Amino acid sequence: MNCAIKSPAQRRFVRASLISATLVVVLAVGAAVTFRLWHLKGLPAYPVAVLPALPILWVLFETGRFLAVEKDEFQRNLLVQCMLGGIGGTLATTTAWGYLEAFAHVPRLQAVWVYPIFWLFVVIAWPVVYRRYK
Amino acid sequence: MKNRLKVLRAERDWSQADLAERLEVSRQSVNAIETGKFDPSLPLAFKLARLFGMRIEEIFEDSESAS
Repeated sequence: MNCAIKSPAQRRFVRASLISATLVVVLAVGAAVTFRLWHLKGLPAYPVAVLPALPILWVLFETGRFLAVEKDEFQRNLLVQCMLGGIGGTLATTTAWGYLEAFAHVPRLQAVWVYPIFWLFVVIAWPVVYRRYK
Repeated sequence: MKNRLKVLRAERDWSQADLAERLEVSRQSVNAIETGKFDPSLPLAFKLARLFGMRIEEIFEDSESAS
């Protein structure tokens, strides 16, 4: 498997994804600490609560930019397939978990886990997709 | 889709990396096209045809018409 990042568009996308993932964690911890220390309620609580989700919008934007800017159609195709794997895995997992919650009374899955689950499946799909074209 | 890329490339003594550089794509892309695992878009197929000075159908074989 050749995972070398070659084009500037790929480098930019990977960098944005890594920074975004770090920001999500940092902002989530920051929001948790803020709520614990200042007990925010009402209107001020909303922006602080939403803050950890904002880097996700950035990654979506960078994904769109990558698909628009990357000249290598094969590389675009690989990313799309990996993301389809991520979407499919997330839909299947969260739907199955929803039924488990409804009928088997398993613990509730918080929606904040959907994004990490999506990337987990993208990472799982990556070697599978690459192997197809080896 | 079957193609003659490997032969055409060998005739010019080009490596996959050489061809990839000329096409402005990755070596992986050339390999995937060459092995028939990935069909290039029409613009990329035209680019290949221009590069080899041939028509698209001289490089790529229409599997339906061949069968």
